[in-house]
Amino acid sequence: MRAAAITFAVGLSPCCAMAQIGNPAGLAPDTRMEKPGVPAPNQTNYQDRLFAQLVTAGGRAEVELGRLAAEKTSHDGVSAFANRMVEDHDEANKQLKSVADKSEIPLPEELDPDHKKIRADLEKQDGVAFDLAYLAAQILDHQKTAQLLAWEIGSGEDPELQHFASDNLPKVLEHLDMARTLHAELAGQALLAAEAQKSK
Amino acid sequence: MSRVFNLGLPALLGAAAVTLTAASDPLPPDLTYRPLPSLPFSAVKENDEAQKPAVIERQRKLLESRYNLADRPMRGVMMSGGRKVVQEGVRVKLPAGETWDSLAAKTPQEIRDRGLLPNGFLPLPHVKQATGGQVFPENQIREIGADEGRDLRRFDVDFDLPDYLTPEFPPPIFLTTHPELGDVSRGDLLTIRNFYEYMNGIITPVQMEGLRLLLTPFPQEEFNQTEDRKVAMQSMGVACLDCHANFHTNAAFHLTPDVRPQAERFRLDTTSLRGLFNQQIHGSKRSLRSVEDFTEFEQRTAYFNGDHVSATRKGVNLPDRTNQVAMMAQMQNIIDFPPAPKLDPFGRLDPATASAQELKGEQVFMGKGRCAECHVPGLSFMDNNMHDLKLERFYKIGETFNDQVAIPDGPIKTFTLRGIKDSPPYLHDGRLMTLGDTVEFFNLVLGTKLDQPEKDSLVAYLLTL
Repeated sequence: MRAAAITFAVGLSPCCAMAQIGNPAGLAPDTRMEKPGVPAPNQTNYQDRLFAQLVTAGGRAEVELGRLAAEKTSHDGVSAFANRMVEDHDEANKQLKSVADKSEIPLPEELDPDHKKIRADLEKQDGVAFDLAYLAAQILDHQKTAQLLAWEIGSGEDPELQHFASDNLPKVLEHLDMARTLHAELAGQALLAAEAQKSK
Repeated sequence: MSRVFNLGLPALLGAAAVTLTAASDPLPPDLTYRPLPSLPFSAVKENDEAQKPAVIERQRKLLESRYNLADRPMRGVMMSGGRKVVQEGVRVKLPAGETWDSLAAKTPQEIRDRGLLPNGFLPLPHVKQATGGQVFPENQIREIGADEGRDLRRFDVDFDLPDYLTPEFPPPIFLTTHPELGDVSRGDLLTIRNFYEYMNGIITPVQMEGLRLLLTPFPQEEFNQTEDRKVAMQSMGVACLDCHANFHTNAAFHLTPDVRPQAERFRLDTTSLRGLFNQQIHGSKRSLRSVEDFTEFEQRTAYFNGDHVSATRKGVNLPDRTNQVAMMAQMQNIIDFPPAPKLDPFGRLDPATASAQELKGEQVFMGKGRCAECHVPGLSFMDNNMHDLKLERFYKIGETFNDQVAIPDGPIKTFTLRGIKDSPPYLHDGRLMTLGDTVEFFNLVLGTKLDQPEKDSLVAYLLTL
C-alpha cells in the first residue's frame, strides 16, 4: 500500500518520471551495476545515507514540535499550520522509512540534540512569544530541509531516495512560504499590540 | 613553554569542541564545496560513457517537449557576418487548449495554479545537471582540435541544441578602433596559433598581449590534468575565447557559479563580449563592476564554478592585475557591436531608412511593450541594473526537471539588445530559441497584452538593432 502511494505520487508529477542521472564521480566504490553506468536498485552512496538520517531527524522533529504547537497555541493559523506539519511530515517520514529500509540505511530512533534543545526552549514559552519562536524554528528547519532535498537530488545515487527528495521539495517550499507568511503576520500584530499597550 | 603549550592546547581545543558541537548545524559538508571524486578516473569515465546515450536522449526529450526545434530560417535575414540565417517564429510549445492570447488574458496566479506556464519558459536544465560544467558546440571542438590539437570534447555529454539555433560560426569581429575595416576575423576562428598573423598591424602591443592571454588555455574544472575531469586525456585546459568565440558567443554553456546546491544552479548561455566597453555590470548575477574585475574573477567562476578550493587543486591561473588583467581588458574594450545602419547616434531608428513596420516596432518597444524601461536605447539598450522579473508568480517552485530544481531566478542583469539577432538562444540560460519567443515571454511576464501585429513589428524592430 505504501509502495503504491509512492508510485502514484511519482506518476502524478511528469517532471520526476524520468530517471535521475548522477555524476559517476560520486558513486560509492562498492556499487553493483545493473548494466554499465546504471547502479542496481537500492545502492547508496554516503550522501544518500547521510540524507536519509538528517531528513529523518528533521521530519521526526516536525511531527513532535507540531504536536507541541497544536497543544500550546491559541492562534487558529498556527494551529492549522502545526496540524498540517504533523500530517505531512508523518506521511513523508513513513515514505522515507520504507525507501531507507529497502536500501538498508539505519535511521535515528529519537530526536537529535539540536531539536531536543529547541523543544525544551519552546516548552518554556507561551502565547505570542511561543507562536513566534515556533514559527522562527520552523522557518529555519524548512530552509535547511530544502537545501538537503536539493543536495540529494544532485548528489545521491539511489533513485528512489532522489525521487522522494524531488517529490517533497515543492511541499517543503510551500511549508516554508506558509511559515514565513504566518510569522510576518504575527510579528506585525505583536508589534501593534505592544504599541497599543504603551500608548494606554 | 612547550609544556604549557602541550597541556594548554588540548584543553583549549576540548573547550572549543564542546562549544562547536552545541552550536553546529547538522548539515552535510559538501553542500557548498565540490566533493572529491570517490572513484578512480578510469571507473568514472567508463560509467560516464555508458550513461551518455541515456543522458543525451533524456535531454532531447525535454527539449522536444518544450520547443519546436525545426529548422525554419527567416527569409532573407542573415546574422551580421552573413554566415547564418536567423530563425523565425515562436518555438516554445503552448499547453493543450491554450493560445498566446488566451494565456496572456489570465492572471499569474491562475496560470500557476492550473500549471499553464509553457515549460519552455521555465529554467533550462544543463544537459547533465548533476555534473554541470562547460559544454562546447561541435564546431568549436572541431576548430580547436584542428588548429591547436587541443581536445574540448567531453566523454560524458554532447552539446544539446541544433546548430541552426546557435550563433553563426565563426562570428565576425568588429573593432571600435577600426570601424572602416568591418569584420576583421577573415572568416576564421581566432586561436593561439593564428591571432598574431590576423591582428598584426590592427591592434596595439598592449591589446596583442591581452589577446594572447585570452587565447591561452589554462586548467578548468572539467578540462585539467587531475582525475577530476571530463575529457579523455590530461588537458591543457580552456581559453577565454573557447566560449566567447571571436569575442562573441558560440552558445557554449555552463552552470552559474553563484548558486548552491548543484541541483539549483541555473544554466548559463555564454554571453557576447561585444560592446563590453559600455557595460557597467558583468556576470548575470555577480554584478562585477569593471571589465578588469570580470576578467580576473572569471578564473574563479567560469573556470572553476566559483569554487576556489577546487581551483587550487587543479592549477588555477591568477593573472596579474596590473600587468595582465589590464591588457586583457584593453583588448576586450575595443570589441564593437555589429553595425546597425538604421540606428542614429541616440540608438533611435532613422525614419528615412527604417520600414513602417520597424518604426511601429520601435513605438511598441518604447511604449506599450515597456521594453525600453530597462533596455534604454541611449545606453546601448541596457540600464546597467539588475531586475527581478518574478517569473515564479507563474509556476510552482521546487519541481525537478532533468535533475534541475526550478527555483526563482532572482535579479538578473539587463543584457544589451544591440546585435541581438546574432546571439540566440536568449535569456541568461538560453531557454528561449528565437526573438519571437522572447516577445511572447516578456508579453506574458510584463502583462503588456500586445496584439499579433504589435508582436510582429517588435520582432522586425529587434532585427534592426
